[in-house]
Amino acid sequence: MYPIDYMCICIYNWIMFFKLDSFTLIGIDAIKVSVEIHISRGLPDFIIVGLPGKAVSESRQRVRSAIINSGFDFPVKKIIVNLSPADIKKDGSFYDLPIALSILAVSGQIGHSLFKDSCFIGELSLDGNINPVKGLISMAEETLAIGKKFFFVPFRIARQASFIPEINIIACKNLTETAEALSGEKQMIKFIYKNKGISNDASPGGQDFKDVKGQLKAKRALEIAVSGRHNIMLIGPPGSGKTMLAQRTVSIMPVLSLEECVEVTKIYSLYEKYVSHLIWQRPFRNPHHTVSRMGLVGGGVNPRPGEISLAHKGILFLDEFSQFSKNLIEDLRQPLENKKVVITRNHMSYSFPCNFMLIAAVNPCYCGYFGDESGKCICSLREVKKFWKKMSGPVMDRIDMRVTVSRLPEGDFIKMEYAENSDSIRNRVKRSIDIQSERFKGKDINYNSEIKIDTVNKWMKDSQKIRELIYTISKKYNLTARGTVSILKVSRTIADLEESRFIKENHITEAVHYRVGSSCNPEGIIGI
Amino acid sequence: MKNKNSVKILYLLIEKRVRPARFIEIYRKNSGNINKTLNYFYQYKELKIESQEVKKYFSSPGNSCYKKAVSFILENKVGLLDIGQDSYPDILRQIYCPPPLLFFRGDKIKSADFCVAVVGSRKCSAYGRDAAEYIGRNLSGIGITVVSGLAVGIDSYAQKAALKEKGGSIGVLGCGIDIVYPPENRDLYQNIQENGSIITEFLPKTPPLKSNFPVRNRIISGLCGGVVVIEAGDRSGAIITSEMALKQNREVFAVPGSIFSPMSSGCHKLIKSGAKLITGIDDILEEFSDYQKQTLNMSNKSRRYKTRKDVDSSSKNLTSDESRVYEFIGCRPKSIEEIVKYSGLEVSSTLRVLTSLEIKRLIKEDFFNKYSRLF
Repeated sequence: MYPIDYMCICIYNWIMFFKLDSFTLIGIDAIKVSVEIHISRGLPDFIIVGLPGKAVSESRQRVRSAIINSGFDFPVKKIIVNLSPADIKKDGSFYDLPIALSILAVSGQIGHSLFKDSCFIGELSLDGNINPVKGLISMAEETLAIGKKFFFVPFRIARQASFIPEINIIACKNLTETAEALSGEKQMIKFIYKNKGISNDASPGGQDFKDVKGQLKAKRALEIAVSGRHNIMLIGPPGSGKTMLAQRTVSIMPVLSLEECVEVTKIYSLYEKYVSHLIWQRPFRNPHHTVSRMGLVGGGVNPRPGEISLAHKGILFLDEFSQFSKNLIEDLRQPLENKKVVITRNHMSYSFPCNFMLIAAVNPCYCGYFGDESGKCICSLREVKKFWKKMSGPVMDRIDMRVTVSRLPEGDFIKMEYAENSDSIRNRVKRSIDIQSERFKGKDINYNSEIKIDTVNKWMKDSQKIRELIYTISKKYNLTARGTVSILKVSRTIADLEESRFIKENHITEAVHYRVGSSCNPEGIIGI
Repeated sequence: MKNKNSVKILYLLIEKRVRPARFIEIYRKNSGNINKTLNYFYQYKELKIESQEVKKYFSSPGNSCYKKAVSFILENKVGLLDIGQDSYPDILRQIYCPPPLLFFRGDKIKSADFCVAVVGSRKCSAYGRDAAEYIGRNLSGIGITVVSGLAVGIDSYAQKAALKEKGGSIGVLGCGIDIVYPPENRDLYQNIQENGSIITEFLPKTPPLKSNFPVRNRIISGLCGGVVVIEAGDRSGAIITSEMALKQNREVFAVPGSIFSPMSSGCHKLIKSGAKLITGIDDILEEFSDYQKQTLNMSNKSRRYKTRKDVDSSSKNLTSDESRVYEFIGCRPKSIEEIVKYSGLEVSSTLRVLTSLEIKRLIKEDFFNKYSRLF
């Protein structure tokens, strides 16, 4: 260690100013923040400027203790730390490690030749260990973007950031290791995180469609819904398996590509700290109907992604849809349309992606048994009408498919019947999605559900058969104009699943089933 | 205002507050001669009627609440049908206290020769709706006019179905003719005037008071040879109507429901106390044998409910898949799973076949995803 009169001897060797790079998060994106430090004579003090939040201000205590407990000296000088750009509010525990390292560097306790090519992030505990932080994956991307070679990250979550081959992830467990890594290239190699294998362990968690007995229509409907990215509503009495079906829908969605995977992981790493690796599974979010507005859409003083963003590239399942407050459902309108949600706070706008598929589950009436064979329903048709009137019109308009699910007869649960597994369904879905992306190449849409009304009108205009059939159907089932448009869009997806170039009549007759409008649905009151 | 007698009765009822029951009493005393009856009132000193006053009254309607009502009648071409007119239904004239004056819209009330009432709960189940539509459609199909109260539920389902056939429908209101009650039935109000009529004994602008409805119910049963009760609770308007019908010596029919259903408990009570249980309109027609002979023979062809033979002939147009599925679907509702298993078709093709059978009106979806034949 250093001699007792170290202070007196070294004082002239000290550099007064030092600078290193770290990051802050804006929405899901990371931007570079320079941690500048200046040490001067004067009354001993430790000040952090540059709009630090509470967590950043408190880092002074952690840094001080961590430095001392790691066996270094904490200079008794006037220390000023600036986080630049100084006009962006910074919050979180990202800067513990950068500040500590800058103090060590400015006081000459570690070499500073490698700082130029490195970025740092990490929270320190009092004993010098490095704890995980949020948003690591966005920062790794930004590291590449600003042309740095090394990224110092907390060891426990290093795997999350290790998918970019161009940058070296340096994973250190504590401050001492970091100091050692910074002492020279040779030493640093020891700490480079080597597990670059981007393993795709996308097993759908044992949830497979083959577990669902019966429900053939609902399963087929979900296959179509996933293929054309149609939002879908499952209508059925309690215990009919709506939740079970919805949970298994992720298993028939195509596997995430690396880019999608990074996007999803970005959002999740903002949501929780301990995302140890890339998320390969499609998200399935199932918020309870008591969820707050902020919880659903995202927000807060430092905006956080809400459930709709957490469902990005996956499924947002709203169980008991009728129980959600009307305001919450109305809030979904814009995100459903724009596939992203923009949250504006007084100093900045934050944008979170939310390209999800909506599955809503709902009972058909107040008591839940309307249309059930048991005849348990005690609601009058007027009450059923009232129940459905409550649903938000604009959001219902964006739900193309409304499918009835009925309960299995007792005893059918134990019958062992062959049911198709998710893998083979997924292959068909994948194929139809490929066909769609081929067709929509160069357009701003990707799925059949996003087809505009003029295209639908063109189909009608081109084929007299379709026009006649649509006329018969809409008369028979009391369909609205919007209902027929949805039916045609769904027919397009069915045609894609069959790899047919044109919509045929039997595609339409099948699609009718996925828009409730049948003789057990008087005057089309259900699913309006 | 073609008929002077109607106007005179209106004047008595409105301006002189003559009770309808009192009017009928005098009418009966004069052995059904309307002129004598009116003379009785107009020469009755206490009423102090001067003929000049009557004339003036109608030539220049003033501001009083009743006068407004009268001007409404003039402006909106509301028909007046008084008990003295020939077109006043005979069957209604025979009841204990027939309304001396009816306000009406639509001419069916004058031309309908035989009526059957279909009444029931406002809070009906899907079964009740199906029954009401079935009975309404088939009665009307053979030329019988369906009478009901234009309420939501059974009443309006039966009437809507009846209006599509030649028999038409008559709606009896419990409020003034200018008031649409319940508001859900606005469409029905408009449509019924083409192939039917709406009638009421209440003066224009009378609100739908609770007490009006039992009074109205006596006209419903009074107009008809029989009353069909579908889904009525223990103490409901439909039960009141059936009681009225018994007093007026009309037939009472009841459509049975599930023994567990509270909605059908009134019907079951009626059956227990002697009302006729019906399972189709043949059961109704049996009771009106005279009528059956007169009218039915000629209109037998137009009976719209399908017999077995009709179905078999129409199934010739089906594709092989369709007829296979149709064969399997019987009276008991079959689930899609069962149909898929039996027919050996793909789920998607099964769904397609089901839709086309449904469009051809051969099957119907009874419960969610459960299909049975449509008869």
